[in-house]
Amino acid sequence: MNPTTLKLCLMAVLSLVGIGLYGLMICRNLIKMVIVLQILVKAAALGLILAGQMSSQINLGQSLGITVIVADTIVAVVGMALAVQVQRRLGTLDVDALSSLRG
Amino acid sequence: MTYPSFLWLIALPLVTAPLVYLAGRLGKRIGQRVLAQGAAIASLLAAWMPFILASVELRIYGPHSFAAEAISLRLDGMGLLLAGLSLGLGTLVVLFSGSYMANEAGEEKYYAMLVAMIGVMIGLGCTGDLFNLWIWFEAMAVSSYLLVAFYRDQPASLEAGIKYLVQSAAGSVLVLLGIGLVLSQTGTLDLMEILTIAETSPLMLAAGALFLIGFGVKTALVPLHTWLPDAHAQAPSGISAMLSGVVIEAGMIAMLRSLLALTGVESLWGPLLMGFGALNMLAGNLLAFGQKQVKRMLAYSSLVHIGYMLVGLGITFYAGESGGAQGGLFHMLNHGLMKGMAFLAAGTLLYALHLSLGDHKPLLIADLAGAAKRYPIAALTLSLAVLGLGGLPPLAGFMSKWQIFVAGFETHNAWIGALVAFAALNSVFSLAYYAPLVNAVYRLEPSESVLSGKPLSGLMKVPLIVLGLATVAIGIWPALLDWLTVPAGATVLVGLGG
Repeated sequence: MNPTTLKLCLMAVLSLVGIGLYGLMICRNLIKMVIVLQILVKAAALGLILAGQMSSQINLGQSLGITVIVADTIVAVVGMALAVQVQRRLGTLDVDALSSLRG
Repeated sequence: MTYPSFLWLIALPLVTAPLVYLAGRLGKRIGQRVLAQGAAIASLLAAWMPFILASVELRIYGPHSFAAEAISLRLDGMGLLLAGLSLGLGTLVVLFSGSYMANEAGEEKYYAMLVAMIGVMIGLGCTGDLFNLWIWFEAMAVSSYLLVAFYRDQPASLEAGIKYLVQSAAGSVLVLLGIGLVLSQTGTLDLMEILTIAETSPLMLAAGALFLIGFGVKTALVPLHTWLPDAHAQAPSGISAMLSGVVIEAGMIAMLRSLLALTGVESLWGPLLMGFGALNMLAGNLLAFGQKQVKRMLAYSSLVHIGYMLVGLGITFYAGESGGAQGGLFHMLNHGLMKGMAFLAAGTLLYALHLSLGDHKPLLIADLAGAAKRYPIAALTLSLAVLGLGGLPPLAGFMSKWQIFVAGFETHNAWIGALVAFAALNSVFSLAYYAPLVNAVYRLEPSESVLSGKPLSGLMKVPLIVLGLATVAIGIWPALLDWLTVPAGATVLVGLGG
């Protein structure tokens, strides 16, 4: 891989992390929140593949990336399931509706 | 090929968890609801056999590894300690949950997830590879999300579950980025190899910081703790006991393993751990003080105890003596027992006063007034637990705190001396919120909710009595647990190259 591609990939990882963290702060909708978390996970998966490439073990990097995607899909599913329950009980997906616990 | 017995220890709960679920479904169909609980107890009791064998093997052969393809497992003192804690507390929680969870929808899922979570935590303690560590960590997180949000028709439980999920998932992404950095710099994921290869570089430093923050969310380092009081207070009481007694400690073991692999990179980890310890003690005490809900108060006090453990571990990272880590890990065990007992005792009272009458109100300290008259065992164990947590001799909590403090003074460093004095002051201050609880339970006239509460079933009291006896016994003979804490402390030292 030539240095320019490497740099491009690195930029992609960093910007995905940035978008993800920014989204996590501003999103008020539960479904969007799950999507934002998935963006973060994709950044991490790309980062692992890149790390594999940089240490000349691209096979290892790719298998780590795929494992991460599989593992974090489960988190997304659980998140969505909770969002469904919230919609059913409260009739809204707004996170601000969930603020009974304080102190 | 022979399989070491710790492999069975990990595999048994994981393999039997789906069977527990099936047994529960079958039990529902034939009208025998106890089948799920029975299967869970059988599964965990069966896992005690390989645990005993593994502890004997560890004593005879020392730490040993097992590797198959990409799975790398290694049994050492720290892994055995976490296995003992999660199996011990887990068995008692399953025993306790019988009448507490009866008549809840999805009871069989509760037991299956609980057994799976115990297996995953044992695996987490026994991993020898950085990426495997993350997989176990994520599996533990997923099973605990479902258990926290178990009362899915209660908005408060859903809120706690979502807060926990979002924060924990963000933390685990940070860990993954750290793993990527380590892989790109060292070309390996094996924890032992990283320790020998890793050199000081800004990227490795960043990796360490990512591990500290990412695992720190689960360990509840202040200010990453905001999910903890909600999750601990809203989960079913058995799960509160597991979360506070084992899950945050498992997060700490994961953090410890990853940072130990990076000790060659930076000498700052020790002071950082101690700094977070001080912050945790102070913030936890201030937040617990003035809480009106029993379970929230206990949850905040977990922050304080994480602080003591971090101080102990930080002393060893800094000074290279095993005393601090041994004390910290001893405190981890004691905290698991005492906080488990506190949550289970609070759980029995919550069940008797509110849940069995069908309302999901939180248990207030005011509700407990005069509880000793009607519920003597629950009141006694709750008081024993909080006094032990407050560090009153001759209970277990005093002994492990004492060990940490002694290790701190032995470094002859003025800063660490001051930190230890600060920890001791915090320990005294914590009695300011524990003592009113004991006072309310024993000295006030029974409240209305106590008078209208339901009687307790006998099986619920068994775990309380066992934990109460253990707390007193460890307080009087602290050497009783040396077989677990000494090898665990030695593991930290080996990691530090001492």
